[in-house]
Amino acid sequence: MKRKPNQFRAFLAITYYAFKAQTRNKSTFFFGFLFPLVFISIFGLIGNANPKVTIGIPSSSNMQNQVIQNVKQSPAITTVVSDNQTLLSQIKQGKIDGLLNVTSNQGANTSYATTLTTSASNPQNAAVVQLLVKGIVDQSNVEISGITTPQISFTITKITGRQSRYIDFALPGMIGFSLLSTAIFGVVFGLIFLKKQLVIKRMFATPMLPLTFLFGQGMSRLIIAIFQTILILVVGVYVFHFYLPHGFETFMDLMILSVFGLVAFLGFGYFMAGLANDENSANPMINLVTLPQFLLSGTFFPTSSLPSWVQPIATNLPLSYFNEAVRKITTEGGSLHDTIPYLLGLSVWGILMYVLAAKTFKWE
Amino acid sequence: MQSHQNEKAIITVSNLHKKFGDFVAVTDVSFEVKKGEIFGILGPNGAGKTTTLEIIETLQKQTSGNVIVDGIDTLKHPWDVKRTIGVQLQSAGFYPELTLVDILQLFAALYDVEVSPMKLLEEVELQDKAKSYVNKLSGGQRQRFSIATTLVNTPKIIFLDEPTTGLDPQARIHLWDMIKKINQKGVTIVLTTHYLEEAEELCERVAIMDKGKIVALDSPEALIKKLLKTGFKKHIEVKQADLEDVFIQLTGRHLHEA
Ligand SMILES: Nc1ncnc2c1ncn2[C@@H]1O[C@H](COP(=O)(O)OP(=O)(O)OP(=O)(O)O)[C@@H](O)[C@H]1O
Ligand SMILES: [Mg+2]
Repeated sequence: MKRKPNQFRAFLAITYYAFKAQTRNKSTFFFGFLFPLVFISIFGLIGNANPKVTIGIPSSSNMQNQVIQNVKQSPAITTVVSDNQTLLSQIKQGKIDGLLNVTSNQGANTSYATTLTTSASNPQNAAVVQLLVKGIVDQSNVEISGITTPQISFTITKITGRQSRYIDFALPGMIGFSLLSTAIFGVVFGLIFLKKQLVIKRMFATPMLPLTFLFGQGMSRLIIAIFQTILILVVGVYVFHFYLPHGFETFMDLMILSVFGLVAFLGFGYFMAGLANDENSANPMINLVTLPQFLLSGTFFPTSSLPSWVQPIATNLPLSYFNEAVRKITTEGGSLHDTIPYLLGLSVWGILMYVLAAKTFKWE
Repeated sequence: MQSHQNEKAIITVSNLHKKFGDFVAVTDVSFEVKKGEIFGILGPNGAGKTTTLEIIETLQKQTSGNVIVDGIDTLKHPWDVKRTIGVQLQSAGFYPELTLVDILQLFAALYDVEVSPMKLLEEVELQDKAKSYVNKLSGGQRQRFSIATTLVNTPKIIFLDEPTTGLDPQARIHLWDMIKKINQKGVTIVLTTHYLEEAEELCERVAIMDKGKIVALDSPEALIKKLLKTGFKKHIEVKQADLEDVFIQLTGRHLHEA
C-alpha cells in the first residue's frame, strides 16, 4: 500500500475520454466549428466585392458619345441607363452615386457640355465619381484634340503588393473568437454540468486528484482548439485565399499562439466554472466577460476605430492581446519574437485568472 | 444466510460527528461492519445516512471522530481507502456522451487497473448495452451499471446509497439477487435504504438512524424480538410484527421532511 496514485494514466484517460465526449457534444460543434466557419464565409464574401461607384446615364443620351463610351468602359464604374426622372430620384436616395448628362453644344459637331450631378448622401462616393468623370473628360478632350504627346505626361508606378481584404483582417479575429468561445462556453457549461450531475463527485471516489481532472479536461479542450484553428486556417487559405506571409512557418506560429491563447483563456473558464453553481449564475458572468471582448477586441473591426476613451480599455483586453499577436504574424508577416509584448499582456491576465480560480473554485 | 459475526470488523466508525455550519447532521455515531456481511443503514429522509456513508468513503470530512476502513485511517490515507472500496452515490451521473464501455475504461484508468468491461457488464447483465449511453438506460439498468462501476477496482467493500429507490418491485428483486451474488464472492456491502423489507431480505445487521443518531443496531430478527418483548402487539395479527413496526416505533409516524 501507500502507493501514490498514478495520475499520469488518469490524466491521459480523462484527456482522451473528455475529448471523445466533446466530439459528440452539440455545443462544441456549434460554438467551436460552425460559428467561426459561418463568420469567415460571410467575411470572405464581403472581402471579395470590389469597390465600385454607380453612375446613371439618361436613356435619351447619345450612347455613341466618346465620354459616355469611356465612362462605360471604366472598370471602376457601373452604369445604369434609365429616364432622367427615375435617375434623379435614385440619386436623392443614394442608390446611384452620380448622374451624367452629355449634351451637344449648339452648332459645333464635336463640342459637348458634360454635367455631372452628385449626391450629398454619400460624400465619399461623390468625390470618387467626380474624380473619375473629370479624368475621363480630360482624357476625351486630349483625344479629340488629336494630341498624342501631351506636354505634361502622367505615369503611375504600381508597387506590387497584396490587396488587403476584409478576410485578412477578420480571420485572425475569428481564431481568437473560437478559442475564447471554447475556453469559456465549453468549459463553464461543461464543468457546471459535470458538477451538477455529480459526475465529478463520482470520479472523486476514485484515487484521482482534483488537479488531474482539471488538467485532463483542459488538455481535451486544447486538442479541440487546435482542430478549430486548423479548420479556420484551411478553409481561410483554400476557400477564401487568406494569405499566410511565410506559408507553413506562419501556420506553425499560429498554432503555437493558439495553444498559448487557449491556455490563458482557460483561466477565465475555470474561474467562472468554479464560481458558478448553475447555468443561471454562470450566464451573466459569461456575458460580462465575452461580449465586451467580442466587440472591443478587434474581432470584427479594428480597435483603432473605437472612440479614444475606450481605447485604453480595449487594447488591454486579453482577446485584444491575442488578436494583435496573431495579426503581427499574419498581416505584418512578423515572427513569434514580435508577439512577445502581447503574449506578456495575455500572460498577466491568464495568471491572474488561474490564481483567482484556485482561490474560489468550488467542486459542489 | 451465513453469519459473519465472528469475523473481524472491516469498518470501525467511532464517535462520528458532522456539522454543516450550526446544523448537526450526524452526532456521535459509532458502529462496526464485519468482514463479509451486508450491513444496512435505515432511516427517514435527512437522517444522516448519506452523510455517514460519504465520510467513510472520504468524500466528506467529519467534524470529529474516527473511521478505520480495512485497517486504514480515512483521514490519514484517503487514497488507500479509495483504492480499497467501491462507491455508488445516491444520484451520481456519468458523462452523457460516453458509452458504458468507455466509462468503465475511464474508471479503470482512474484506479490504474486493467479490466474487461464486457465481463463487468455481464456481471450486472448489461452486456447487450455495451455501446449504449447512460441516459438511454432504464432506472434499473442505470443502477446496475452504477454497481458495475463500483466493481472496477475489485474492492473489498462496496457502498450502495439507496440502490433500489425508484425501482419497481421486479427490478428491486433483481437487484437484490445481484447484490447477494456480489456479497457471496466475499465483498462486504454497506447499503442504505428506506425499504424495510429490503433490509430484512438482504442485511445481516442494520443500524437505524434518526436525526443524525443511531437509535438501534442489530440483526433484523433480534430487533423484532426486542420489540415484541416490550409487549408490542400488531393490530392485525398476520405476523406478530415486522421490521416496519420497529422502524416506525423508533422514528415516529410523522413525516420527517419539513
Ligand atoms: N452539504 C450540506 N450542507 C448543509 N446541510 C447538509 C449538507 N448535506 C446534508 N445536509 C443536511 O444533513 C442532513 C442529513 O443529510 P443526508 O443526506 O445525510 O440524509 P439522508 O439520511 O441520506 O437522507 P435521504 O434519505 O433523503 O437521502 C439533512 O438534513 C441535510 O439537509
Ligand atoms: Mg441519502
